[in-house]
Amino acid sequence: MRLRVLVDQPAEAAWNMAIDEALLQLAAMPTLRLYGWRPHAVSLGYFQAATDFADLPAGTPLVRRLTGGGAICHGDEVTFSLALDAAVLPPAIADSYALLHDAVLVALRDVGVIATRLQDGHPQTARPAERWCFTVPGQGDLVTPTGKLLGSAQRRIRAPTPRVLHHGSLVLHRPALTPFVAAIADTAPTTFSRQALLATLIDHLAAALAMTPETGERTAAESALAAQLQQERYGNPAFTFSR
Amino acid sequence: MRPNDRKYLKSHEWCKVENGIATLGITDFAVSHLSDLVFLDLPAKGASVTAGESFGEIESVKAVSDLYSPVSGEVVEINKDLPDNLEWLGSDPFAKAWMVKVKVTATSGDLLDAAAYDAHCAAESH
Repeated sequence: MRLRVLVDQPAEAAWNMAIDEALLQLAAMPTLRLYGWRPHAVSLGYFQAATDFADLPAGTPLVRRLTGGGAICHGDEVTFSLALDAAVLPPAIADSYALLHDAVLVALRDVGVIATRLQDGHPQTARPAERWCFTVPGQGDLVTPTGKLLGSAQRRIRAPTPRVLHHGSLVLHRPALTPFVAAIADTAPTTFSRQALLATLIDHLAAALAMTPETGERTAAESALAAQLQQERYGNPAFTFSR
Repeated sequence: MRPNDRKYLKSHEWCKVENGIATLGITDFAVSHLSDLVFLDLPAKGASVTAGESFGEIESVKAVSDLYSPVSGEVVEINKDLPDNLEWLGSDPFAKAWMVKVKVTATSGDLLDAAAYDAHCAAESH
């Protein structure tokens, strides 16, 4: 099976989230999207209260994700999304994280970054006491000696067919707003390159899904739905501040 | 076999209709695959729900999943204690962990009886 790969330029927060939902709803083939954030922004987990982030610096772009978990400050990072039929992944959500985290683990090793997947630690909770995703690593998280390295979250729909949107955030350089996160720059060798990381991420995520990666493009329908979702949902304060 | 006094959706919700009122919940199969439930959002009393469309959302292991309604109608009662006692979904998904009661105006055409739903779960596990 082919895995369509979309490599996007860094974009505005609401547009990024709108594209990912459009892919969840419309993508006719399994799709891996790699992207970044310009300007840098904070994304809230779907159920988080925006009022808990009233202390963010004035002007910080804020967006509500469709996926769960805690908030992330998206600075210099590699972000990826997967939009897939649920049947492609293990049925238990925790097992699906393990599959994808192990793929990222091997990709990181390829570029000289040694991380481990926590086998123990506190249970994963979507609404932790801490509001930021990276504050406290839990079971199954990828960590380095400096902390949690990969943020992950999902959205699952069952109709019209079971589908999954998976988000992954790999921090390259530690954002000033969240100085407690681990970053690839902490331990990466001098030979590290972002392009090499993207290439090996694509290869290993595709291999984990038993798929063949193939560079593709968004369809006109996906772009049109994303534009609608950007306007009506992710760029709309009524949605961002709905909780 | 799961309780045969109710019907099921392939998306793992159940409904039990008595005197025109449907009680809705999710099955043990759904709960086992979600694991570590942490947040449940249910509709308000008086809200309308539509068969085959989302009536609520549940979060577990940083994953948000939609809950789909087996019936259309008006929500007449919600299990107000459930969001603060999500462990009930694991211990008693077919009784104590009911979610909402709906005054039924229409029923999904995709409902399964217990035997067919058991077979669906077995197929989905492989």
